[in-house]
Amino acid sequence: MAFKRAPEQEAKPNLTPMIDMTFLLVVFFMLTIDLTTKEYVALELPYAREGVDDKETPIPRLTVNLLPSGDIKFRGNTWPLATGAPEEQHAALVALRNELQRLTADPEMREPDKSSMIPVMVHGDRDARWQYVQWIMQVCAEPTIGVYKIQFAVKKPPGEEEEPQ
Amino acid sequence: MAKKIAEGDETEMNMTPMIDIVFQLIIFFLLSLKFKAVDRRIDSALPKDRGIQATQQFVDELPMITVKLFRQNMDVPEEAWTTIKVGNNFRRELPKGEWAGTQKEDTERQEEYDRIFAEVEIAIRDTWAKMNHNPEAKGEIKTPRPKGLKVPHGDVIRVLSTFIQVGLKDVKFEGAPAPLPQAGGGGMVTQGG
Repeated sequence: MAFKRAPEQEAKPNLTPMIDMTFLLVVFFMLTIDLTTKEYVALELPYAREGVDDKETPIPRLTVNLLPSGDIKFRGNTWPLATGAPEEQHAALVALRNELQRLTADPEMREPDKSSMIPVMVHGDRDARWQYVQWIMQVCAEPTIGVYKIQFAVKKPPGEEEEPQ
Repeated sequence: MAKKIAEGDETEMNMTPMIDIVFQLIIFFLLSLKFKAVDRRIDSALPKDRGIQATQQFVDELPMITVKLFRQNMDVPEEAWTTIKVGNNFRRELPKGEWAGTQKEDTERQEEYDRIFAEVEIAIRDTWAKMNHNPEAKGEIKTPRPKGLKVPHGDVIRVLSTFIQVGLKDVKFEGAPAPLPQAGGGGMVTQGG
């Protein structure tokens, strides 16, 4: 005698692995995105009426973040400047100098007068001390680094009309 | 004999996974689009030839419009404020403390800043007018130690922006005494615009 099939028993696809995979993909993309955008630390930029729109520069720039606390964040490194101990501040600036030297070492990125073509953006909090910005610029200007193109990241004051470009 | 498919018992497509994926894609693109952290900047150039050396002789020859910044009461960060001096006669005090980070308080603070910097702008314009708008004139932002060392970055950039607004695009910054032994205080020139 033939067995009779149970009538209401459709085979449904199991969705769990697909959702698992999708989540994995999302996590993967979020992590890779995060790595490429770690360049900018979230902080409050200074207001300036006279900024220009931040268009991409022909030569990729280096971004030095300066937190309100006085910490320098540069390409995943954190160097404290606000400790008040000159030795530690010195060590922080030496670390920044070494890293900048390494990144600007390429002779093809040098102009005929040996200065570097690579711009450096100072992405500093408006409450960070100006002194630390001065130090960062002084490090950039050192002959072994020779960076002279400095950009200050700024923000348009609230309520400013968007100028037609 | 061919089997007849039961009518009214069609297999329906399950939309749930498709919707899931569409949402994930939307979230992915939203996240990847939002990451442009900087939308404006001020370009500036450090002196190539002079670096960080003292530049006294170069400074003295040129007509300068000097803005001095001091941080007052700097031992108490919540009560500290910045004094702006243009030349010898113009002096204004910026609001006390730091930015609150809340919309309402910062808006009030911003209005106060705008009001004061409008006066600073007029003071710089007047000073330049007294030089008959000498095209050689340069701006200078001085932050004399010790009180100048704690001036916030935002205040200095606002002064720089005001100089550019007036039309003075050569602005010199004073160097800070660095903890680096080889880096002394020197002059820096910025080219705004």
